[in-house]
Amino acid sequence: MRVLVVDDSPVDRKIAEMLLKKNGGMFEVIPVDSGIKALEVLGLNEGKSERTHINEQKIDIVLTDYFMPHMTGYDLLKTVKENSNLRSIPVVMMSSENDPEIISSCKGIGAEDFFVKPFKLKDVQRLRTYAAKTPMCKHGTKRKLPVDVIPENSSYESCPRVPKVAVA
Amino acid sequence: MEIGNLQRRYLDFASTLFHEGFLDNQFTQLQQLQDESSPEFVLEVVTLFFEDSEKLLDELSRTLNQQAVDFKKVDAHVHQLKGSSASIGAQRVKNVCVAFRNCCEEMNQEGCLRCLRQVRNEYFLVKNKLETLFALEQQIVAAGGSVPMMW
Repeated sequence: MRVLVVDDSPVDRKIAEMLLKKNGGMFEVIPVDSGIKALEVLGLNEGKSERTHINEQKIDIVLTDYFMPHMTGYDLLKTVKENSNLRSIPVVMMSSENDPEIISSCKGIGAEDFFVKPFKLKDVQRLRTYAAKTPMCKHGTKRKLPVDVIPENSSYESCPRVPKVAVA
Repeated sequence: MEIGNLQRRYLDFASTLFHEGFLDNQFTQLQQLQDESSPEFVLEVVTLFFEDSEKLLDELSRTLNQQAVDFKKVDAHVHQLKGSSASIGAQRVKNVCVAFRNCCEEMNQEGCLRCLRQVRNEYFLVKNKLETLFALEQQIVAAGGSVPMMW
């Protein structure tokens, strides 16, 4: 499972990367330090949509910080959810601020969840459930089985393919 | 120095850091993530924290000493410092950042400068403590021992 981790804090990116890697090899992490770089990984440049390059890196889930300079996590979420080719990718927000208004506004435009930092092991466990909900890729290269066929506690050694996570 | 003594010194010192509020449980969480495949994880994360924090402190000093202070910018930097200090468990630094953000909201330059002095002070204190902790770890390993777990 490819997780695009978007956070301008190098400390938080490192911790998120470690927590995700500790999950038995389930996640491949692609870290980026800005919303703009996240859009590049997703095959979008600001304001443009180049269909042939959309999600070439096969991102399965986006985990993004809310407060970032230039382009906030909210802006990133909005851009992803407004794009017909990307909107099915689950986007999970995170912030050190536990602000009900911010949480509600993010969920209102399609965020799967909102984690209050510091990012913890139980948050990783929740991420697994959101990533498992991702529909089959149109290009059909990653997901060979419908989600309900995959047993809950399947070992990743037995999976034909361990998805990769891009952490920006 | 004998391994047992070093290990006891390490545990006593680490215990003090928690009792005096320099570190909180988040630091322990980071230590629990460290393993043979990432034996330097805590050191790497803390090093990133040091680099990031010093940049932020310099930037805060520059911004607060302008004639017209951009309090939004100050707040953004303090928010980042608060976040990263919370992420590594640097509790006292984080707590000063909370007060600092209140001063930003009030657009109180004097208050902000006071908070900057406090946060700088707390940052260098915890930096010193952590460097001592890591030095003790290195001494234990160099003597052939293993670093005792604090949980």
